[in-house]
Amino acid sequence: MNLETTVSKTLTARGQTFFWKRFKKQWPLHVFVGLGMVFLLIFAYTPMFGIIMAFKDYTIVTGIQGIFTSNWVGLKYFDEFVNDYRFIEIVRNTLALSFLKLIFTFPAPILFAILLNEVKNMAFKRLVQTVSYLPHFISWVVVVGIAFSFFSTDIGIVNNLMVKLGIIDKPLDILIGANYFWGLAVGSAVWKEMGWWTIIFLASIAGINPALYEAAQIDGAGRLSRILNITFPGIKGTIVVVLILAIGSIIGGGIGGSNFDQAYLLGNDINNSTSEIVQTYAFKVGLADGRFSYAAAIDLIQSVISVILIFSSNYIAKRVSGSSLF
Amino acid sequence: MSQRQKDLAFDSIIYFLLFCILMGTLYPFYYVLIISFNKGTDSLLGGIYLWPRSFTLENYATFLSDPQWFKALFVTVARTVTGTFLGVMFTCLVAYGLSHKELLLSKVYFTIIIFAMYFSGGLIPYYVVLRSLGLLNSFGVYIIPSMLSTFFLLIAISFFREIPAELKESAFMDGANEFVIFYKIILPVSLPLLATMALFMGVGQWNAWLDSAYFVQSDGLRTLTFRMMEIINKSNIPIESIGAASSASGVTNYSLQVTSMVVSIAPIVCVYPFLQKYFVKGIMLGSVKG
Repeated sequence: MNLETTVSKTLTARGQTFFWKRFKKQWPLHVFVGLGMVFLLIFAYTPMFGIIMAFKDYTIVTGIQGIFTSNWVGLKYFDEFVNDYRFIEIVRNTLALSFLKLIFTFPAPILFAILLNEVKNMAFKRLVQTVSYLPHFISWVVVVGIAFSFFSTDIGIVNNLMVKLGIIDKPLDILIGANYFWGLAVGSAVWKEMGWWTIIFLASIAGINPALYEAAQIDGAGRLSRILNITFPGIKGTIVVVLILAIGSIIGGGIGGSNFDQAYLLGNDINNSTSEIVQTYAFKVGLADGRFSYAAAIDLIQSVISVILIFSSNYIAKRVSGSSLF
Repeated sequence: MSQRQKDLAFDSIIYFLLFCILMGTLYPFYYVLIISFNKGTDSLLGGIYLWPRSFTLENYATFLSDPQWFKALFVTVARTVTGTFLGVMFTCLVAYGLSHKELLLSKVYFTIIIFAMYFSGGLIPYYVVLRSLGLLNSFGVYIIPSMLSTFFLLIAISFFREIPAELKESAFMDGANEFVIFYKIILPVSLPLLATMALFMGVGQWNAWLDSAYFVQSDGLRTLTFRMMEIINKSNIPIESIGAASSASGVTNYSLQVTSMVVSIAPIVCVYPFLQKYFVKGIMLGSVKG
């Protein structure tokens, strides 16, 4: 036995006893943390392993063990989804809703923040800002209730007013018409979340050096040109970070609130051809019809796309601008 | 046009746009409020814009005396109070353990947490887990699965790390154990953190609707948001049912729906001034750290 191994062996042995000594001293902390780990194991990791049910013939009556004991069926359920007669429609709806929401809910808070920044009356600025956050904290259920008060064909005040003023002959079926669903979803998303995301852009604008504005003013730059040449470039980094967040979570709804909540709560039998998205379809197929493996397969396809989007948007942002989330 | 005139025009456009946003956000809340104080059958005639035409408290009286609504309100308050309390306490306890810089295995623990933040098994396997735990159709389904928030866990850890170590050491000298230190020393000095967490978790609990719709079947466990959803769907499809008075007093499905919405919004507006103090910090942390 040579000297080196002897030394390293005694060191490891000492390291081990040292480890246990320290561990004994910290054991209450490990109990606290351990409780959290058990929680994650049950509520986060077991469902993750449960995803294998997408490749199996699973029935709910067999419980958790059934996930492991049921028969493998390979890609049967993935095949079934791709060949589902509603497949194209549902994928189209999911992508349309996701991208339309990104296109409108992403620029809105930036423009709103820039507008707010131009206001010199602090009381008015604070009032507008304070009110604009409020919808973020309201349940989507309430937002749908408000939409009902405004857009329903018989008591919606928007419809009533437009008919009264002679703009339209008869009320528009905004809440149930398939043609209106995307507009309704995007509009309510902007209404609910615009103010909330303004916070982060305003904070970023506040970080711009005021000397830049003074210098530009002396050089004769107008207000619009100051916005375009100072404010906008000054918050570019924040814009990129929020854009990564928004694209990474686009299938879930991005920064415009949950797609699932919107499609589920604003959707109904009549506008189903535009309101049914992958998440609501998986949900209905799974929990309402009890086809768990099929629903899990649909869910899995969507999760894989989401993960790819998160990592690729992050990668692109890193290459393009040097800022990234991780 | 002179520079002054240009500036004036520019300001007018900005103030006009912001005024539109202000009204567009505020008016829907105001409208719902006045309708909730207007006689139900009268509201159906339309034409109410600025104040109640036929003022009444009947909608609220009916709402509160209806056992179904009252029960839903009770369940919602109960889940918000217990869910928030346990969520804050449990998340902080775990965070306290993880906030020790010399904690052994901390790399392993953090990997487990971060991985759980980014990946999820989706709703279907989650449902199977809830079912196997016997949580379906029980009050516990509102509370237990939301006891740990990985997002607030990370925020709490960084908060606890800022607390001076001397505070703990002196308590150690006096023979206090870790748990005593946690609730007698750490929690009292972390009030801003606790308030932020309680407000966000509380709003989340108050607004949740999916769990009541799909993880619960018994009538006694339905929440306010679920009942609201139910009545909105009822008023949404056939025209006659909107007018169907549920009592002789002129209360309609629609007026009850609007009343329940006000009841759901009111507590949020009440905690709003406190919320505002903290949430700016919250969103900044959340966005920067992902």
